[in-house]
Amino acid sequence: MSSAAGPDPSEAPEERHFLSTAEAAALERELLEDYRFGRQQLVELCGHASAVAVTKAFPLPALSRKQRTVLVVCGPEQNGAVGLVCARHLRVFEYEPTIFYPTRSLDLLHRDLTTQCEKMDIPFLSYLPTELINEAYGLVVDAVLGPGVEPGEVGGPCTRALATLKLLSIPLVSLDIPSGWDAETGSDSEDGLRPDVLVSLAAPKRCAGRFSGRHHFVAGRFVPDDVRRKFALRLPGYTGTDCVAAL
Amino acid sequence: MSSAAGPDPSEAPEERHFLRALELQPPLADMGRAELSSNATTSLVQRRKQAWGRQSWLEQIWNAGPVCQRLAFPLPALSRKQRTVLVVCGPEQNGAVGLVCARHLRVFEYEPTIFYPTRSLDLLHRDLTTQCEKMDIPFLSYLPTEVQLINEAYGLVVDAVLGPGVEPGEVGGPCTRALATLKLLSIPLVSLDIPSGWDAETGSDSEDGLRPDVLVSLAAPKRCAGRFSGRHHFVAGRFVPDDVRRKFALRLPGYTGTDCVAAL
Repeated sequence: MSSAAGPDPSEAPEERHFLSTAEAAALERELLEDYRFGRQQLVELCGHASAVAVTKAFPLPALSRKQRTVLVVCGPEQNGAVGLVCARHLRVFEYEPTIFYPTRSLDLLHRDLTTQCEKMDIPFLSYLPTELINEAYGLVVDAVLGPGVEPGEVGGPCTRALATLKLLSIPLVSLDIPSGWDAETGSDSEDGLRPDVLVSLAAPKRCAGRFSGRHHFVAGRFVPDDVRRKFALRLPGYTGTDCVAAL
Repeated sequence: MSSAAGPDPSEAPEERHFLRALELQPPLADMGRAELSSNATTSLVQRRKQAWGRQSWLEQIWNAGPVCQRLAFPLPALSRKQRTVLVVCGPEQNGAVGLVCARHLRVFEYEPTIFYPTRSLDLLHRDLTTQCEKMDIPFLSYLPTEVQLINEAYGLVVDAVLGPGVEPGEVGGPCTRALATLKLLSIPLVSLDIPSGWDAETGSDSEDGLRPDVLVSLAAPKRCAGRFSGRHHFVAGRFVPDDVRRKFALRLPGYTGTDCVAAL
């Protein structure tokens, strides 16, 4: 795979449904540098769309009180920031989110997003009660690791949290990629997370080809058409003002 | 009217549907911004340092204009010409909202064109302008004063010129002339937050003010919205946290599903 940002010439344009990790990074750079999107804007758009995807997969009227409780597990990097925004929108949509965010980024954006959640009375757990998650929550959102972030980079508490998430019996929603999966190849071992729902941000990553859960959404409406064309992506259409599309 | 930001005690809480103009200023990431008067900075959100960044705030009302457009002017019902939308942006925050609105209209397959004659030097405005330019949204270099040309070229107009508290005199000749032209429109007009040029408290008394067909109140309706008599009034305020709403004793309609706007 070349390091230049551009589609793989061996793939016919109309067949590209995924981005490599390098391409995903290049797409994001283009949005930030050429299009002058702020990182805050992109995180907000992705977090909001992720929450909307949750409402589509688990519509509120069909949920009992307990089922509306959502545990959002956030890592210290961008995926975690998206998780914090997602939690806030879930609160606005009348779900009952709780956040586990053990390894906090010092980054101003993360700190502000944390403040927003705190001010909206979203509880932050000080530790993850591994025995009780299935009973306490209706579903879990995995916002721990994004593409290109090594499990080893995020610290013990996140790693232990992922070990717990592998044993869930309640539904799991992963943001962008299932945490811990290789963004290119997916997870080979029995050991990887097996989410029920995947919400691809901007566009699906290669590993999404190995996703075998119930619902795969793409949250990419904000990607301008000519960026999509540049990366030769072919994605489903969005309906009306929807910000997510089911694949 | 006191200058402190807080509900007027003489109004029973359940009757409050409007905000005085300065009560809920859009919060800024950079608290040191000199452009705010001390009155504005006493708004609740800044006192509590809720740390909403401007980008985040703007994206949270991202759908305000376009979703309202879809609700008021749904795309499938529109002809090609009717999908063309002229978005007139002033140099202040209302104009920034207009730029974001135009971008989302483009995503929603309307055909926006922007008239943004007096540009802010502010980084956020410049970035939002770049986003629109990169998405091939045309920027007009001048606005025809002959209103018939606008009526023929566009299906509707979005007024994002003046927000609450901004005096028409502050925004320069081209915006003022644009507003004079918009008063004569025969195509629908959508105003963001308040009809530009209206007094945010009292509304517009003279025959002279803009008469929009659709008003999209941002965060919460302003007092002058009581005098709005157009077809549709939407509030784009879902992002306002419950306890901020309670603090200002606002009673607003419920939102449905994941909708970010509600019809009043």
